[in-house]
Amino acid sequence: MSRKKLEPFTVVSIVGVSLALLACAIPFWMIISGSFTSESQLATTGYSLFPVSFDLTAYKMIFTGPAVLDAYFASVFITVVGTALSLAVTSGLSWVIARRLPGISRPLTVFAYLPMLFSGGLVPLYLLVTQYLNLQNSYFSVILPLLVMPFLVFVQVSAFRQLPESIFESAKIDGAGELRIFFTIAIPLSKPILAVVGLFYAVHYWNDWFMALLFIDDVHKFPLPLVLQNLISNISFTQMLPQLAEAATPVYQLRLALTAVSIGPILLAYPFAQRYFVKGITLGATKG
Amino acid sequence: MSWSIGLLALPAVVFFLVFNYLPMAGLVVAFKQFDVNLGIFGSPWNGLENFAYFLESGDAARILFNTLFLNVLFLGATLAAGMILAIMLNEIRSTFFKRVSQSVVFFPYFVSPVVISIILQVLLAGASGGGGAVNDALGGLGFPTVDWYTEPGPWPWILTVVKVWQLGGYLSVIFLAAITGIPEEVYEAGMIDGASRAQMAWRITLPLLKPTAAVLLVLGVGRIFYGDFGTIYAIVGDNGTLFDSTDVIDTYVFRALRQLGDFGTTAAVGLFQSVVGFILVLIAVLIQRKYSKETSIL
Repeated sequence: MSRKKLEPFTVVSIVGVSLALLACAIPFWMIISGSFTSESQLATTGYSLFPVSFDLTAYKMIFTGPAVLDAYFASVFITVVGTALSLAVTSGLSWVIARRLPGISRPLTVFAYLPMLFSGGLVPLYLLVTQYLNLQNSYFSVILPLLVMPFLVFVQVSAFRQLPESIFESAKIDGAGELRIFFTIAIPLSKPILAVVGLFYAVHYWNDWFMALLFIDDVHKFPLPLVLQNLISNISFTQMLPQLAEAATPVYQLRLALTAVSIGPILLAYPFAQRYFVKGITLGATKG
Repeated sequence: MSWSIGLLALPAVVFFLVFNYLPMAGLVVAFKQFDVNLGIFGSPWNGLENFAYFLESGDAARILFNTLFLNVLFLGATLAAGMILAIMLNEIRSTFFKRVSQSVVFFPYFVSPVVISIILQVLLAGASGGGGAVNDALGGLGFPTVDWYTEPGPWPWILTVVKVWQLGGYLSVIFLAAITGIPEEVYEAGMIDGASRAQMAWRITLPLLKPTAAVLLVLGVGRIFYGDFGTIYAIVGDNGTLFDSTDVIDTYVFRALRQLGDFGTTAAVGLFQSVVGFILVLIAVLIQRKYSKETSIL
């Protein structure tokens, strides 16, 4: 489609999209810029889009003490182990649903779909994890409740259903069992969708703070978002950080630096992840 | 048929049983006078007392109103924003600019609510508490500054802006995919009839996006009784001065659970939430089915 002149609506669109772009980019820039600005500067002159004086106090505090490393370890553990388990469990279930086995696939679909509509709520979950499973202060108290997201099951089912049926038929004729077909044919053929679903889970685990807030009391086991939340709501956590000789703890600058540190990995993985995410959402949107 | 295929689904089935279906049975706590030492099933029954306590507490009306009001705002605003953004993105011919803006507006979806909360503090409070970028701007333009974190009034709108910011880009991807599915001939016919770009967006694209919006709406209505706890609690926390306009069922339940340890009442509130939510989904699905059968999700 070629056009000679710009129509008013196209101009409006360019302006609109540019504004949205700035609205989404500037806050992050402010965080990063602020994290390099000294506490006193932040308190007196407020924010500027570029740090007036380059100050690394907060980053020094973060990287010299064990507290933030602990939090990083917790977040990485929860994300890596959680994503691996979630992917394995989701793939297994999705495969059985995708195979359209009479008497099995349909009931399983309803079984997995129902929790999206009706849930026991917070109290029974809380009692289950703390009173019956005794998972408090274990990283698994964050991992297990988030293990399967029904939405992602349906994304994966529709992806599995796009694989050519004939391959499985011929494998069956060659004497392969269901497990063998799954592990040696379906999974290797589904790497792109596994990447999509894995990314969704990974972001979910990396950002979770609610399960951690509910079930983790031990500050040494806090994942990053919970450390951040603690820095917002009370300053007790700063006591765990190594004190620098100079002055009082730069609480505010510290928050910004820690925020920058916690979005760092997402920022790095983003160019790669975003492409797959778009694929995942559009697959999910075209109904399971 | 081979039994071995069952093994593949087994872990997921166990997960759903333990973490979804067992808690449903645990809802009997709502009808009990819960005692930690006696456990869920050992505690004595107390009928509907937990429900009565909640309804008579004076909090019920406020949190029910807030929950519905905020969710309707969020749902309407995010869907509208996603749709408008997608239509605008679709107008842009420069692939580079389009790709960059799409990536950037999608990014907020990837950050934790806690990060959003910090960003809000930067904008609304600043390091000194009464400052922040928004107040700097207001002051610069000669308007009075606002002590945002003590004013409950503007918060429904602030939270709506947050939700739009967080989800607008995400939803625009879904709508953009739907726009891609619209056959090119429809636009060519419009062009022959002399339609402007604006008229084509308004008369062709927008109506054809309705089924997608309907599906998202039904999914959203299903969640309407859940207050998006993660975001609201990360932002408001235990700041009681804002509860008037921000306290929703989920934050209420969490606070009651954490601070009062009143399991019976909070479970009663949770049960109420689940039942009403379930009824709302059913109604939404039935309505949607009536109007467009082919896009129905059930």
